[in-house]
Amino acid sequence: MGESEFDVVVIGGGSTGTAVARDCAMRGLRTLLLERDDIASATVGTCAGMISSGLKYRREPDIVRMCSREVVNLNRISRHIIMKVPILTPFFSLEEVGSSTDYVTSYANHAEERDVPEMLFLTPDAAVELEPKLNPDILASVYYEEFFIDPFRLCMLQAMDAMNHGAIVKTYCEVIDIETDDAGSVEGVVYYNRVTGAIEKARTKTIVNSAGPWAHKVAEFAGAKLELRLNKGAHVILDRRVVNVGLVLKALDNRWIYLVPHENTTLLGTTALDTWEDPDSLVASFDEIEYLLQSFEKHVPTIREARIIRTMAGVRPLVPQWNMPEEDVTRGYEVIDHETTDNVKGLVSFTGGKLVMCRIMAEDATDLIMKKLRRTTKCKTHEKPLPGNEDDVDIVALSKEYGVHMHALERMRARRGTEIVKILELTRDHPEWKTTICTCEPIIEAEIRYAIREEFPQTLNDLRRRLRLGTGPCQGTFCTYKAAGILADELDLSGDDFLVDILDFRAERWKGIRPSMRGEQLAQEELAQGMYACVGNLDQSDVDYDIKPWEEGT
Amino acid sequence: MNEDEAFEYAKTTLKEERITQYSPTEQEVVKSVESCINCGLCIQHCPVIAAVGVNRFSGPRSIAVQLSRSPPEFWSTADVVYLCTGCGTCKEVCPKNVNIPEVVNMIRSRIFDQRPDLVPKGLHIVREVLTKYNLAFEPWEDLEEKIESRDMRLERLGLPYIEDPKLSKADVIFYPGCQAEERSQEVREAAKVILDYFDVNFAVLDEMSCCGLPSVLMGDQDTASSLSKKLEKQVKSIEAKIVVTTCAGCTSNLSEIAERDGWGIPTVHVLEFLAEQIGFDRLKKTFSERADYSDVHVSVHDPCHLIKHTSRQVMEYALAILRSIPGVRVTESKAHDSCCGGGGLVAYHASDVANAVVKENLEAINETDAERIVTPCPLCTAQIESNLFKTGSSVEVDDLTVFIAQRLPRG
Amino acid sequence: MDFHTDLLVIGGGMAGLVAGTVATEKGLETVLLRKGQSATAYSSGAVDVIGYLPEASAPFISPEEGLTAIAGLYPLHPYSIVGYGEDVSPEQVVDTIISRTKTAIDWLKEHLSKTRTPLVGDFSSNIYPITILGTTKPTCLIQQTMYPADLEENEESTLLFAGIRGFPEFNSAAAAKTYLEDRVALSLPPRKVAHCEIRTTPFGETLNLSQIEIARHLDHNEGLEDFAAQLKDHTDRVGATHVAIPPILGLRNAVANQTKLKDLLSAHVFELLGFPPSVPGLRLQLALEGIFQESGGKMMVGHEAKSFKLKNGVVESVLAQAPKRAATISAKAFILASGKFIGGGLTGDENGIRETIFGLMTVTGSYHSAEDILPSKSTNRLAITPEGQPVYATGLTVDPNFRPIQEEGVEWAGNLFAAGSVLAGYNYSVEKSGLGVALTSGYSAALNVSDYVKEVSK
Repeated sequence: MGESEFDVVVIGGGSTGTAVARDCAMRGLRTLLLERDDIASATVGTCAGMISSGLKYRREPDIVRMCSREVVNLNRISRHIIMKVPILTPFFSLEEVGSSTDYVTSYANHAEERDVPEMLFLTPDAAVELEPKLNPDILASVYYEEFFIDPFRLCMLQAMDAMNHGAIVKTYCEVIDIETDDAGSVEGVVYYNRVTGAIEKARTKTIVNSAGPWAHKVAEFAGAKLELRLNKGAHVILDRRVVNVGLVLKALDNRWIYLVPHENTTLLGTTALDTWEDPDSLVASFDEIEYLLQSFEKHVPTIREARIIRTMAGVRPLVPQWNMPEEDVTRGYEVIDHETTDNVKGLVSFTGGKLVMCRIMAEDATDLIMKKLRRTTKCKTHEKPLPGNEDDVDIVALSKEYGVHMHALERMRARRGTEIVKILELTRDHPEWKTTICTCEPIIEAEIRYAIREEFPQTLNDLRRRLRLGTGPCQGTFCTYKAAGILADELDLSGDDFLVDILDFRAERWKGIRPSMRGEQLAQEELAQGMYACVGNLDQSDVDYDIKPWEEGT
Repeated sequence: MNEDEAFEYAKTTLKEERITQYSPTEQEVVKSVESCINCGLCIQHCPVIAAVGVNRFSGPRSIAVQLSRSPPEFWSTADVVYLCTGCGTCKEVCPKNVNIPEVVNMIRSRIFDQRPDLVPKGLHIVREVLTKYNLAFEPWEDLEEKIESRDMRLERLGLPYIEDPKLSKADVIFYPGCQAEERSQEVREAAKVILDYFDVNFAVLDEMSCCGLPSVLMGDQDTASSLSKKLEKQVKSIEAKIVVTTCAGCTSNLSEIAERDGWGIPTVHVLEFLAEQIGFDRLKKTFSERADYSDVHVSVHDPCHLIKHTSRQVMEYALAILRSIPGVRVTESKAHDSCCGGGGLVAYHASDVANAVVKENLEAINETDAERIVTPCPLCTAQIESNLFKTGSSVEVDDLTVFIAQRLPRG
Repeated sequence: MDFHTDLLVIGGGMAGLVAGTVATEKGLETVLLRKGQSATAYSSGAVDVIGYLPEASAPFISPEEGLTAIAGLYPLHPYSIVGYGEDVSPEQVVDTIISRTKTAIDWLKEHLSKTRTPLVGDFSSNIYPITILGTTKPTCLIQQTMYPADLEENEESTLLFAGIRGFPEFNSAAAAKTYLEDRVALSLPPRKVAHCEIRTTPFGETLNLSQIEIARHLDHNEGLEDFAAQLKDHTDRVGATHVAIPPILGLRNAVANQTKLKDLLSAHVFELLGFPPSVPGLRLQLALEGIFQESGGKMMVGHEAKSFKLKNGVVESVLAQAPKRAATISAKAFILASGKFIGGGLTGDENGIRETIFGLMTVTGSYHSAEDILPSKSTNRLAITPEGQPVYATGLTVDPNFRPIQEEGVEWAGNLFAAGSVLAGYNYSVEKSGLGVALTSGYSAALNVSDYVKEVSK
């Protein structure tokens, strides 16, 4: 096969795209993954990371079963990036208690396989003791346990594993056309390489369209039709853990929303608004923020005392079921074979799905492709561990051996698992790389350089996804310029690029900070302005800064 | 499972996940630390960083913005969080007055609870003494030897012996603190001399017990709580209007407990009592009555628990009192308000760090050419004294309470 | 213990300390409360007067040029306030503003010249020191240790950017490239530029180094000599005439160190402007505190103004809260120099912007009420632009005497004055005017307070 010929080209590097690339590569297909921005830069990058038991979809027992099984699979292959979160759901009326039986039962059906308890009923006193911030005016509450995963690491590790099995992963490559033959069958893709500025081609007879909220546009390139229901969801992120357990309860409009501890922050989410705007331009709105805060205020009266550090917003590519609220839309997924639906041979698309299902979605799609290619290798993605998950890691011993503080290693372990040793080894020749660059997480220089060398980031924002750079309370105020220097060093960037990197990352952080600006963040941003504008004079810099999609307009 | 079993199950999971709920006071501390903007001003002033560097002790900034964000990870801060001396300099310089010392105590309490194997061994020893004797120092086995030692000190220092009042009710409670009770007995005696001289109606506790600060500092909340309850009971039974102490740590800790548990009475250092209840006019007159004074050149060390945890004004009182004593010349050392390294229980497990911290103080003291250092805290006295001795310096260290008592008129 | 004084200053940054010193020099008994250090203490240590008009892109050649423009276009800018005395006719406004500002700047330079942190620079022109990013910014006064001598004038100069291994705040290669590319973009004459990395080990390691550690290390002879020896290898190698280092030349001995290095290296070493927490900012803070205390002022550190008593249109007293003690301080006059959001003078949430101690009326940069505004609506979509973020122009509006006013335009209290970043009507980050406004408003407020106290004492 020629250099630009592939068995399969996957479009979209989110949770599903990277899972597909991994499965295809593991089954011996010559695979190319094209992502127009960075891995996990779209929908999956703005979700809470819950790999849910499917509780919400109890009306679709097949989906509940699938979710439960996938939680087991994910725990098997990527335990190191998964956290268990105990959850409380308080009830305020007998009616609520009564109506809960059906989901309590369906939850119980599969609890054991995930190694979690069934839903347990607690007295109000017990609930308040577990979570003192809870409004004690409750009738009863139910306790259960769910799992959360780091979505960025999941996608990155799936991509890395795909590469380990021979796949080629290209970020910043935007597909601008799909070439078809006279019969309408797929022949190849045309893509714009945003880093080099070149237009490139790849030949293939099979394309998997996992472009999420852009999947319908990609399908159009091939002359196929794909309908989606696009729905915006926003989260508010609070600094540090302010609740001990996750709280799942009903919002002002009776939707289920949650407040969950997530690594070293707390997530409050989420909203649902059908959208037709450019997903890249969306930011959380004041209404969405107030909706979440006011909904929670009833149950956690002190919620506004917590420090809001930022917001995030993304678009769900739902299965196109209309005439019903977003909540009622199926969370199952569809694998669409366009040969059958549009007579376009060689194009497979997805609609719907949830983070927890990404592996099974990939399995189904890859099974379909293998069948079309008349190959028989079976799926192994549920068995083989993702990189880093091979073993446990002894933080205390590593700390002593390499002379790095335990907490920094513990946070690194949550991202890297066994890979942590490779990073620490870099410090043998370069002890100065043990220096802390991001003081909020923390992140040491060695991990930044490792990520730049091994995980193909182009910008500080890409580094943020890989390392959680700039995700703490200071939102990158202090690490932006330091990390920019390291990136400039590793990629041999010009002075202008160094400054543009700083401005780009400040812009990206500002995107999420601005909608919820208040309280402590006012002081934080005054400091950031004081540094980058007042001292650095970057507001007067004439470097080539590109206006971002969300910055356009008045 | 029934509801009780369910509760137990849930609690077990929380324990496994290393989640311990914040108490209401702790929630205030968490709220305070949420204000941190990562500016790093604290790093510039932290005495431990000045002594050993950010690489060894990542400092108050890291405690606020990094180490305290996720309780399940608190255990992994054990190689940093015990190096804090609790001086509170960070809190004082912080634009937001983030309460780092309390955050440190909170983190230590979780480590104590969940990973006692990571608590430095020296601290476990302190705990053993506390739980066994209700005191931070092992008491004398032989009371006669204790009295002998006391009398020797009194003689050396030229102080009279004032008997412990036998009152069960009084206006004032004198609380010496564990160190003055069992080790630096001269401090305890000196305070009684002073109170007696000014005809203060005071009582001492029947059974001396620790205020609990060492327990707070090592995160042993249970022992701290039982000690404070024990003390409260005794204090209330005496029905006093004020508690007076000679230890800086006790001053700030008792002020904290009294406010938190609603004792309803103030707890002050003897310096405050002298300045506010006796008054400077009377003090000045008193000292001037002593004709046989001698000249002495002193410098002062400000205990962190007074200036940073209570109020800077307390040491303003100290200076004013000293300046009203004839013959006393005071030269302020440029490190007068710099931590001596004796706090935070650091000396119990990382004496190299504690002794590195005090170096700056010693250098500054030498620059003043003073003959004596006075400080109103037995811990600071001990820390500075032992380190001065090691450098071969001839400067002597006095507890300020003793210094004042020595200069009261006789008879 | 409660007590009484002539003037109580709330806030211990540039504005408060300058105000307190000027008042003490005028014979007032002055006490200053400070709950924490703030922006002044970690600033870059340069004193900006006025670099740009808000939203403009051409820097002013001199503070004088800038003040003239400000006075014309922004009559309620804190700089403009001094132009509204009773005895100032409309034609004299601009001159009054310029002369008062110049007086304040001269006052500051003169006072600091006697400390370890002397300033250089002149009211007659802005200068463009280099920052640790390699960019430049206009400012009026810099610390002597930042003075680049004849770097610009000397056509044969070779500039060496010297970084320090394990010190992450300064990347000498990136800064050198940025500096060069800037010069090309501005069509400035080319310059020979090099970069290097040296090692200094305050605690035996080359990692996690902070500005303060290195500065303290260089305050000691061995530290400085080792630093010089390493630099010399590089300056000799590239023939450097000038060396740009991060702001770590020393905490106490920076000026002396600069001279020593000049002798040892035969090259002029100067500090770049750094990011917080910057050592030059700390030097400036300590120097100002020293000046205040030496003039006879009394500082109450660790005290927060928690509440107040108002009677008959004057503030009677303020409750100063220490960690576990409190004191009621009564005074004839009060100056509020409590800072903006960092300092805590202002606070804001979805219900509006509030002044935290007295509950004074707050306004936006365009003098509408800020009491109900949503902070996020007072921001720009773009993060870093010459327009800045309007929310940082909110604060207090004052009368010509620097007394905060109420809605009707009347002063809130006859004896309450305000200075520094708690004032509205300017955005220091984009104008480059922070310490300048603090200096002049503090200076002017103190003069007014002094007149007021003398008046009421009759």
